[in-house]
Amino acid sequence: MELLDAATLAKLAGVKVRARAVMEGVLSGLHKSPHQGQSVEFSEHKEYAPGDELRHLDWKAFGKLDRYYVKRYEHETNLKATLVVDASGSMGYRSGALSKLEVATTLAGALAYLLVRQQDAAGLSVVTRNGFADVPPRAAPGHLHAVLGALEALQPAGGTDLYAAAEHLAERVRRGGLVLVFSDLFDDRDDALSRVLALRARRNDVAVFHVLDPAELEFPFDDPTLFLSMEDERRLEVNAREIRQSYLEEFEAFLARTRAACTEADVDYLLVRTDEPLDAVLLRFLGRREERA
Amino acid sequence: MVFAQPWLLLGALAALIPLAVHLFDRRKPRPQPFAAIAFVLRSQRRTASRLKLKRIVLYTLRTLILLAIPLALARPELRRPGTAVAHAEGPAATALVVDRGLAMRFQDGESLFERARDEARSALASLGIDDPVTVVPCGPEVVPPAAPGLNRSEARDTLDRMRPAWAAPDLGHCLEVAARVLEESPVAGKRIVLISAFIAGTLRPETPPPLVRGAGDKRIRPDLVLRDVARGRRMLNNHFLAEVKAEPAPQSGARGVQIAFTVRNVSDAPAHEVQASLELGGRVLAKTFLELAAGATVQKTLVVRAETGGTVAGAVTLTTDGLAEDDRRDFVVQVPRELKILVVDGAPSPVRYRDEVFFLEAALGAPSSPLRPVVRDVEAGLRERFEAYDVVVLANVPAPPAEDVARLRAFVESGGGLLISAGDKVEPEAWNARMGELLPRPLRLVKSAGTGTGEAEGRLARLGDMRWDSQIFAPFSGKAREGLLGARFSRYMLVEGGTRADGSEVLAAYDDGAPAFVSARRGGGRVLLYTATLDRDWGDLAIRTSYLPLMQRAVAWLAGALDERERLEGRVGRTLVLHPDPQTAVRTVQSPSGVEVPVSIEADHSLRVGPLPEPGLYRPLDASGQLVVGSQFTAALDPADSDLTRLDEAQLQAYFGEEAVRGPAGTAERRVPLWTWLVVGAALAFFFEGLLLRKP
Repeated sequence: MELLDAATLAKLAGVKVRARAVMEGVLSGLHKSPHQGQSVEFSEHKEYAPGDELRHLDWKAFGKLDRYYVKRYEHETNLKATLVVDASGSMGYRSGALSKLEVATTLAGALAYLLVRQQDAAGLSVVTRNGFADVPPRAAPGHLHAVLGALEALQPAGGTDLYAAAEHLAERVRRGGLVLVFSDLFDDRDDALSRVLALRARRNDVAVFHVLDPAELEFPFDDPTLFLSMEDERRLEVNAREIRQSYLEEFEAFLARTRAACTEADVDYLLVRTDEPLDAVLLRFLGRREERA
Repeated sequence: MVFAQPWLLLGALAALIPLAVHLFDRRKPRPQPFAAIAFVLRSQRRTASRLKLKRIVLYTLRTLILLAIPLALARPELRRPGTAVAHAEGPAATALVVDRGLAMRFQDGESLFERARDEARSALASLGIDDPVTVVPCGPEVVPPAAPGLNRSEARDTLDRMRPAWAAPDLGHCLEVAARVLEESPVAGKRIVLISAFIAGTLRPETPPPLVRGAGDKRIRPDLVLRDVARGRRMLNNHFLAEVKAEPAPQSGARGVQIAFTVRNVSDAPAHEVQASLELGGRVLAKTFLELAAGATVQKTLVVRAETGGTVAGAVTLTTDGLAEDDRRDFVVQVPRELKILVVDGAPSPVRYRDEVFFLEAALGAPSSPLRPVVRDVEAGLRERFEAYDVVVLANVPAPPAEDVARLRAFVESGGGLLISAGDKVEPEAWNARMGELLPRPLRLVKSAGTGTGEAEGRLARLGDMRWDSQIFAPFSGKAREGLLGARFSRYMLVEGGTRADGSEVLAAYDDGAPAFVSARRGGGRVLLYTATLDRDWGDLAIRTSYLPLMQRAVAWLAGALDERERLEGRVGRTLVLHPDPQTAVRTVQSPSGVEVPVSIEADHSLRVGPLPEPGLYRPLDASGQLVVGSQFTAALDPADSDLTRLDEAQLQAYFGEEAVRGPAGTAERRVPLWTWLVVGAALAFFFEGLLLRKP
């Protein structure tokens, strides 16, 4: 299997194209998809009681047995997935071909393809400077265009407020849904991540795609540098080489804290470097889901 | 400090480069939008103080490097006065004469001895590599050192081994020794470096400065370099114990001891409240405070009571000053012990004053007397155990039975004393028959000299021919002697004639020549015969004022208590001859610090101990290492050596010459090169700068 690297993906204009390319890469990498076939399967019969839907009456059973039975199914409805994309200013950072936001939208788009393809509902919730933009989850193929269109239109701006985003999602997402978060998790509030992870407590299946740039992970700066904040007016002139060690220690501690919090909350955590092949990221994610299933 | 290349100091301006770079090199930092700026801020806060310190240290190190290099290139040298000895005229054989006399123990912040040793090491280091050198430790004795050589470690070893002495040296003699040893070196130049405190007593002006045999046997004067370790002080103020005299003080009780000590304050300032404490038998028994005017001599007498009799060691200690060694002086004193006297009363009487021994008992038992008389009648007295007494007095006693005579003889021969007085009960024939061996001379008959009243008084006998030099009569002088000679005797016992060959000696005789007191030695003991009565029956001696001391002296002499004690004090550095009891077996003598002192036994059994290495109490030991009781002695410093008045500059110039005292122009300085240290400093700074740069 040939994976699509970030540089190649960057040459593909638009989220739709990139997402489709990634999705196809993923499909070709799956030997046996756990999501193939009917998602709504017969489970058992139940004697009819007033209030049951008449459309589920098994007329064949009535013909044989002269009694009313209602068919019951394993999944009453399709899976409802909400793709949460952080579009704050910090997500616009890039040291290579793709920004963190581009990686996040590409991954979200590819997953939306996959979900809709297996007739699950995919919705979108975008965390922006001006609040939240939501596309409700639907399983219709035509709905995919709405999701991808919303992703394509995203521009990084403003500060990060994951806490508010989690509050917003808690109101919107029904129990038992799938919540996929795409963010760098750079939030000044210490309890923001725990509030996001709290969605898991509502029987939602939560996965966090921690999107980070290699420069953030390795801090490859040497000279005196004037660091500018991408979300506010903060700026700092510093000899980068002098603080490199301390920065790496601080950042490693942040990653360890995040990873530990996700593990503790039984939330799937994926560290996504913007320079790694995204179909590999998705395969890793899907493989892990298969293991969990 | 001087610089060989002072113009290179301009390079020191380079030290301003780090400051200039800091001030003017304000490169514009590259702007970098960065998403994780929160972590950058946190890291910067965490490391800010450490980085600031690091920057300051780096800046300092770089400045030091840039400053040290041009300074080192300018070749700076430190010129220190008083340590350089080398002249510019080529190599010279050098003798370092280092004073190690008593004065060098003086503490002036550090001891002068240590200062002298440092000076010597410094002088050694400043010599040229082709200057042969030798070290002459200058003490009371001077051992000629090895010829000057180029081996510096040998000289350093000599300096390390050197210890201060306990007496003053003779600097003239030390210089002479140094001059002789310099002659052994073939190097033409000769130099003597004298390091001393220049105490006045150490240099005799009449001895000329030394000369060295030069080329063609011509006597030349060596270069003299003087190093004064007590520079700037006119004198070294010192108070000290010049003398301590300890002797029994019977007037203060049986074990009374009188210690008279003399303290001198040789200084130009008074010493206030100098404490003197007296230690006897290991305990401090008295303390007193002295006010010592500048240059004053103070005598003080303390009387104390010793806890035990016999030979007792003690010490007088003053508040210490710069020279603590002469502020303590040990002594040994013979404390009189109590003597037990058995008085056998041959004519007791119920009327007290008519009793034969009434006056004797009163005289011996006087208050403060160390004599303890026990009076018995004849029957009881002769039954006593004589060995329990020091002296037995037979006062007008009939001749004792033979068995008692034998016991008496054994008592006397084993060291006891026997006083025999005459009287009506003494029958010459019976006494001669039984006590003949003990009597100094055989008795003859009683002679009447007169009645003692009226005209007959003129015929009464008086004491005439006296041995005033004998131990019994020696203290009688002046009125006491007149009182003794004024005694009148109406009767007395005549004795047979004799000579000194028979061991008898007439110590006093009546004016007609008849013996009054006859002494004799019998074995280890003594016998004294008094040919009159101890009461008033035959004379009036008993009511004379001289009776009491006479009887006390007589009994003390019989007990051996008046024997001349040899002075048990020696002088440090000298030998001491002791005359111990031949029966004691002194094998070794231990010094105060525990060192064994050489001992040699002379033909007359006297002991020659020494030379005594240090002041303090010495302990003669027997073959088993036990102290020989009563044989301790002390050694004291020579008080003259404690006078630390210094030679003034005029005296030094008169002796050594002006050039030696002031130092020849341009050579009385020691050049200490500093540039090597600067280079080392710069290298170290460079190393640490690299270390700091490597560390993030």
